[in-house]
Amino acid sequence: MQEIVEKIAMYVAKGKVSKSAWWPPEMKDQDGADEYAAEAIKNGVQPSVLLEGCILGMERIGKEFGENKAFVTNLIVSGVAMNAVLKHIKPFLESGEVKRKGTFVIGTVTGDMHDIGKNLVSMIIKGGGFEVIDLGVDVPTNKFLDAIAQHPGCFVGLSALLTTTKRNMATSVEAIRKASPDTKVLIGGAPITKDFCTQIGADFYSPNPNEAVEFLNKSVA
Amino acid sequence: MSIPGLTVIGESINDSVPSTRILFEENDIDGIVALAKTQAEKGASYIDVNVGSRSPSFMAEVVKKIQERISLPLSIDTPDPELASAGLEAYNPERAGNRKPILNSISEARLEMFDLYARRAFVPILLVTEGLDASREMIMNTTAAQIHGSAKAMVSNARKRIDHIENDQIILDPGIMPIGSDSKGDFRRLMEAMALIHQDKDLADVSMSVGLSNFTAMLPSKRADGSPVKSPLESAFLTMAMPLGLNTIIGSVSRKYTLLTDEDPAMQCLKDALKLEGVDIIMRVMMYFS
Repeated sequence: MQEIVEKIAMYVAKGKVSKSAWWPPEMKDQDGADEYAAEAIKNGVQPSVLLEGCILGMERIGKEFGENKAFVTNLIVSGVAMNAVLKHIKPFLESGEVKRKGTFVIGTVTGDMHDIGKNLVSMIIKGGGFEVIDLGVDVPTNKFLDAIAQHPGCFVGLSALLTTTKRNMATSVEAIRKASPDTKVLIGGAPITKDFCTQIGADFYSPNPNEAVEFLNKSVA
Repeated sequence: MSIPGLTVIGESINDSVPSTRILFEENDIDGIVALAKTQAEKGASYIDVNVGSRSPSFMAEVVKKIQERISLPLSIDTPDPELASAGLEAYNPERAGNRKPILNSISEARLEMFDLYARRAFVPILLVTEGLDASREMIMNTTAAQIHGSAKAMVSNARKRIDHIENDQIILDPGIMPIGSDSKGDFRRLMEAMALIHQDKDLADVSMSVGLSNFTAMLPSKRADGSPVKSPLESAFLTMAMPLGLNTIIGSVSRKYTLLTDEDPAMQCLKDALKLEGVDIIMRVMMYFS
């Protein structure tokens, strides 16, 4: 089983999506994550093994990104490779046969249309074994509150890229605190700092996606 | 760094630049002025001034202190009408050879900023990446036609709100996104939008500007062979965009901007990117720098 986990992790970390994908060039015309996962499921491999491979692969590329050895481009392509695997285990995730560690609701705050940071965090957290509910950009507070009500016990992540929308983040965090005091709130984005996190009463400021996953993992341990 | 016909607004005095943010936080006005001076010496035509969400008095002080030392016009860069007002009022055209400042930027959601013109004449940058829907809610434009539509609407707004303003005193910002995360065809949409604006007789002589460094944001600085990544890709962008009417950038005075030939690998990369879809665009950029 470890061999399969490693193989999936390799496809995900390298970003080899499928046979027809031309990245990485050294794996041209070779099978990718899509073909390998399909074959594994056909041969009766437990879907949880494939999920484990995704988690390991995303952890590896995330670590390289944190060390400036990989770039946003690599993270995105690895995310696509991960999704190519997840596509094959979706029915097992939906039936509950394969369990996720928890649910993470994420969105960019009201008035802010930026989604690159949010999407990267979503991808890494999904790769960390959590279900991700992506509310999109320009998300009003009540949408966050509705999602919390629909997903009891979820974590919430708020993103902002503009100094002008930081105040909207503060408003949303305050409302979440009031409506659901036990919900853990993570914040991030270019103008966000640890001090700002303390100031607005959020639970965790993550300067990068990996630290967010570490925080979530510790919270569910 | 200069290409004939290209106006460079030096980008460094911006709250989103970490080293500049430290200068702001430490109230190091001398450091900020030095940054303006360096950019002026390296050939900037304007100096951008973006103080983030600090106070109007801070904006005014930064503008005054920069103008004490350099004679270039400034670009007051804020979406906040109060900060814009403070920056414009503090601006002294006489210190800049009677040249108007730029105001970056006005969008359909904040048309009241045109009224600041009565107090200090400026060249507006009109942000056309967003518009208003039927219920007057802000929406992001997702097609080239929508960006073109917003450009027409905003130029019309400028003409209604500012007496006698001519098209050559207006700059449009059609928005530029990082090519390294472009899985939705943002680059192609931008080129198509610029072409539509450029062909529109009502928009003749209107300038176009983008924040060029954003195009290569998050990419590595060097290719596998050690050659630079960002200057060639940004130069390739300029080579393709200037014939479509782009004549202004907010950019780095340290970059070596040049017009490239079709055979240049950076040109090949962007030409391919225009034809590709989805994650293949990102993979093509990775092939360029790997």
